[in-house]
Amino acid sequence: MTSRTRLPTIFLAPPLLILAALAFVPTAYAVYISFRNRELSRPDGSFVGLANYIDLFSDRRFVNAVGVSLTWELVTVTLTLLVAVALGILLFEFASARQRAVLTLVFLVPVILPRVSAAFVWKFAFHPLYGIVTYPYKAITGQPLDLLSNPATALMTVALVDVWQWGLFFAVIVLKLLETLPPQPFEAARLDHARPWEIYLYVALPMLKAPLISLTFIKMIESLRAFDLIYVMTRGGPGITTETLDMYAFSQGFIESGRISYASGMAVLMMLATTVIFTVIWKRVKP
Amino acid sequence: MTVSRILGKTVLYLAAFSAVFPMVWTAINAFKNRVDIVTPTPLFIFTPTLDNFAYVLGRESVAAGLVNSLLAAGGSVLIGALLGLPAAYAIARYPNRWSADIQFFVLSLRFLPPVAVAIPLMVIWLDLGFYDTLTALIATYTLLTLATVIWLGVPAFARVPKEVEEAARVDGYGPYAVFLLIALPIAMRSLIGAVAFAFVLVWNEFLIALMLTTSDAKTLPIVASELTQLGRDVPWGILNASVVLLSIPPLLLIGILSGLLNNAFRRKSN
Repeated sequence: MTSRTRLPTIFLAPPLLILAALAFVPTAYAVYISFRNRELSRPDGSFVGLANYIDLFSDRRFVNAVGVSLTWELVTVTLTLLVAVALGILLFEFASARQRAVLTLVFLVPVILPRVSAAFVWKFAFHPLYGIVTYPYKAITGQPLDLLSNPATALMTVALVDVWQWGLFFAVIVLKLLETLPPQPFEAARLDHARPWEIYLYVALPMLKAPLISLTFIKMIESLRAFDLIYVMTRGGPGITTETLDMYAFSQGFIESGRISYASGMAVLMMLATTVIFTVIWKRVKP
Repeated sequence: MTVSRILGKTVLYLAAFSAVFPMVWTAINAFKNRVDIVTPTPLFIFTPTLDNFAYVLGRESVAAGLVNSLLAAGGSVLIGALLGLPAAYAIARYPNRWSADIQFFVLSLRFLPPVAVAIPLMVIWLDLGFYDTLTALIATYTLLTLATVIWLGVPAFARVPKEVEEAARVDGYGPYAVFLLIALPIAMRSLIGAVAFAFVLVWNEFLIALMLTTSDAKTLPIVASELTQLGRDVPWGILNASVVLLSIPPLLLIGILSGLLNNAFRRKSN
């Protein structure tokens, strides 16, 4: 297997060079323009040092966006895993082999949909006048229910769509993980008259600790991609209650003022934060 | 016991219903006239119409978006597969002291927030004169497809029995012949899953396309989202039809993708 051949170099060098170029050039460029005051309308701009970063920290909308993003991460990651573990266990406990096969396919539907589609489908379902989800409320109370325009519920309503996509998908993975466990500990616990929920809580889930942590990690990364849902469903509104960091960077860089340098400053901070945090977690999870 | 069984199954069926119904409802609405959608009570019985689909398919912007999406996804997936599959094979079969670092580097590309990549890339493509072109879009998406194909290809190649490759070598196959004629065909099923996954990722991609295109190179998700932002007198039927159209290709690949999932876990169980 290790006989001398140049295959590894020939096979690895071009793709790695391309990946490195596509990843590092934009990163370096983002850092570069974040030190300038370039705008969309003016191609040039001059060096301004740390001005963009200093402005960011006194920008209340930026601070708000950090808060919204953190809330989004916390809510979607937690709910996704809770839904996934609950449904995964129900699949394992109650579904026959054939039902499992069918439900696995069905549970994959939401996550495979383009997020733009998922966002629109639910936006229409939550429509205060014609939505099918809000219809029962309207029929009973006679009042329209406008969840996406209410500052108190908008973010949670969008988060629901994210959990719908990922929770069902992860439930399938939890089922597959449970299927890989050896049956003996289950039988032993059953002989000890453990209740089913006790078996899962104290036997099965601890055995799956490592993969469940990996799933949490994956969801943390994927939750960074909230933009599509929020863009289609609320555009950051009402007000700025659902404006995540990527939404704010987008609107600063494009919609409102075309302040590319300012948006790049945000992008650099986001890259720093996510790369550092995720690298640390990854190295801990996978020693 | 039976009570909890009924409860558990009910929850499962409700979850399954919630997974499928929203899309089914959208598909139903796509066959309705506007008056049948804008009703105080949701209608299940109505006279179906093909007007919405006819309108959507007849619109130039949708047709252009469809072509752009196919070219952007197809091109970047092709490049990703051509370069990524050999790389994945080299990592799986010729481990060296950087293998772990290479794999981590490929994974860490996913840590980058898309907006953080898209903003500088937009400026770069603007400066180079490639803004709003398919070339720029395909090049950018290659970052996504290449990383995905490598990441999913490594375990697929690692699952090919080493003995088969060694036997081929004894028969006089060179290292490239072993890759092309032995490893590639054996791992093909999982590899198709990896490539299909990369395709779905790019097909569904929104933020980068939104930032790198304005008119000529707009992909289907952008066109669809623009339709969803139309002001008053919203043409709901047309919207539903365009969302259905956008969702069909990924849904067609669902079988292949669930096969990929099954393969990934079959390895661990034995």
